[in-house]
Amino acid sequence: MTELGLEIALLGAALAVGLAGIGSAIGVGIVGQSAAGLVTEDPDKFGQTLLLQALPGTQGIYGLLAGFIIMQQVGIIGGAPLNLTIAQGYAFFMAALPIAIVGLVSGIYQGRVSASAVGLVAKRPEELGKGIVYAVMVETYAVLALLASIMILFGIDLG
Amino acid sequence: MPSDDTIYAYAVGRTRALEKRLLEKSQIERMIEASSAEDVIKVLSESDYANALADLTDIYDFEKVLQSELQKSLELIKSISPKPELIALMALRYDVHNLKVIFKAKYLGIKSDLIVPAGTIAAPRLQSAVDEEDFRDLPDRLRKACEMITEGFPVSRDPQLIDINLDQALFEQLLHDAKRLNNAYMEGLFSRQVDLINLKTLVRVKRMGLDREFLKKALISGGFLAHDRLTVFIDEPLESLITGLSMSQYSELAAEGIRDWIDKGTASRLEKLADDYITGYLKKGKWSPFGVEPLIGYLWAKEIEIKNIRLLMVGKINKLPSEAIRERIRDVYI
Repeated sequence: MTELGLEIALLGAALAVGLAGIGSAIGVGIVGQSAAGLVTEDPDKFGQTLLLQALPGTQGIYGLLAGFIIMQQVGIIGGAPLNLTIAQGYAFFMAALPIAIVGLVSGIYQGRVSASAVGLVAKRPEELGKGIVYAVMVETYAVLALLASIMILFGIDLG
Repeated sequence: MPSDDTIYAYAVGRTRALEKRLLEKSQIERMIEASSAEDVIKVLSESDYANALADLTDIYDFEKVLQSELQKSLELIKSISPKPELIALMALRYDVHNLKVIFKAKYLGIKSDLIVPAGTIAAPRLQSAVDEEDFRDLPDRLRKACEMITEGFPVSRDPQLIDINLDQALFEQLLHDAKRLNNAYMEGLFSRQVDLINLKTLVRVKRMGLDREFLKKALISGGFLAHDRLTVFIDEPLESLITGLSMSQYSELAAEGIRDWIDKGTASRLEKLADDYITGYLKKGKWSPFGVEPLIGYLWAKEIEIKNIRLLMVGKINKLPSEAIRERIRDVYI
């Protein structure tokens, strides 16, 4: 008899990819609007603002990475799907939560910081680096969440 | 979750680029030191005004250039703002100005070409509204004020009726709309403007020796300073007004501006300080990354810049000394 473990694990993968992706999409979207406003008046700022726009995109990548590891471990990719117990399924689900939740929120906030940095670049293009540093401070917490997710994932006992 | 304020992301990004093209202190300084009006134009030709000035054949036509620049800025900001109705409030003042001009032309036969194009309603439409006494296009409070003027003026023939009624209605409308649109920042702006106008009215009324009844009629409501707090000063020397305001947010402005008015008999210093005060208030919202504040601030900055250019041009044409011009030049926003 098959248990529901596999489905629960996949729900975790879906959340990691989905929520972190939403965070990045919103974040990148906000910066894009702000950058388009600046570039309307000053087309030379395209390169600098593109860099700022890319920053909140990483959360989506982290989410995909976590989701990918789950899919691999449960055998969805590269092998036969495992028959997981419900407890094992929940372990994968829990592992997905840090990057899913933090990815969503930090993506949005990183977008807001980056959009503010677009204003900074408008006034002082030579200070782009400082704008990036502010945005990267938000990145820290997405990285920590990814780290937590991965540590849990590799600690799950599949025996 | 994304909060609603990010709807301003594009507009603020674009405003940041526009802000950079405002005249800087050093450019203003060069114009103050310029030896003639032509030299002022020369400095302006190296700025964002270059295109507009290229068509200028007679320097006495500079006012037209300034008016069209102001109108362009208002229209641009309105077009990029997700809530153009908030920006339109910044232009309502020009409708009231035009209405005053048109009413005075009609009733007092004062001919003037002072119509400004920056209002929310085109001047010819205002003209026909006054001619036909049909004010349906105007916002509620302005419409009522215009109706009061058309009914009251033929009876009283008092030109003050036009100014007082329209000014009163303008700020009632502005404060009402700012509240309706839930914008505390703009409410704060209009309330401060009311206070500053009331202070100037009080000093002016006192200097003209008019009585308390007149002052009560002329004061505009909606400010932070209560009317009965102001009217008590009508029977006291102006110095006591300075002490009376020393605990308010207008203490510095009163101390310097009203003192100057007492000593020199001109309001020009107080006018400058009042504008600087508003600039100081609006600057507080300048760095808001998502919100209407930078847009409003930019429009105000443009108005001040145009005022400064006008002061410079008029000063240079009339050969005023640089010092006299510098005293009146408003602080820049950037």
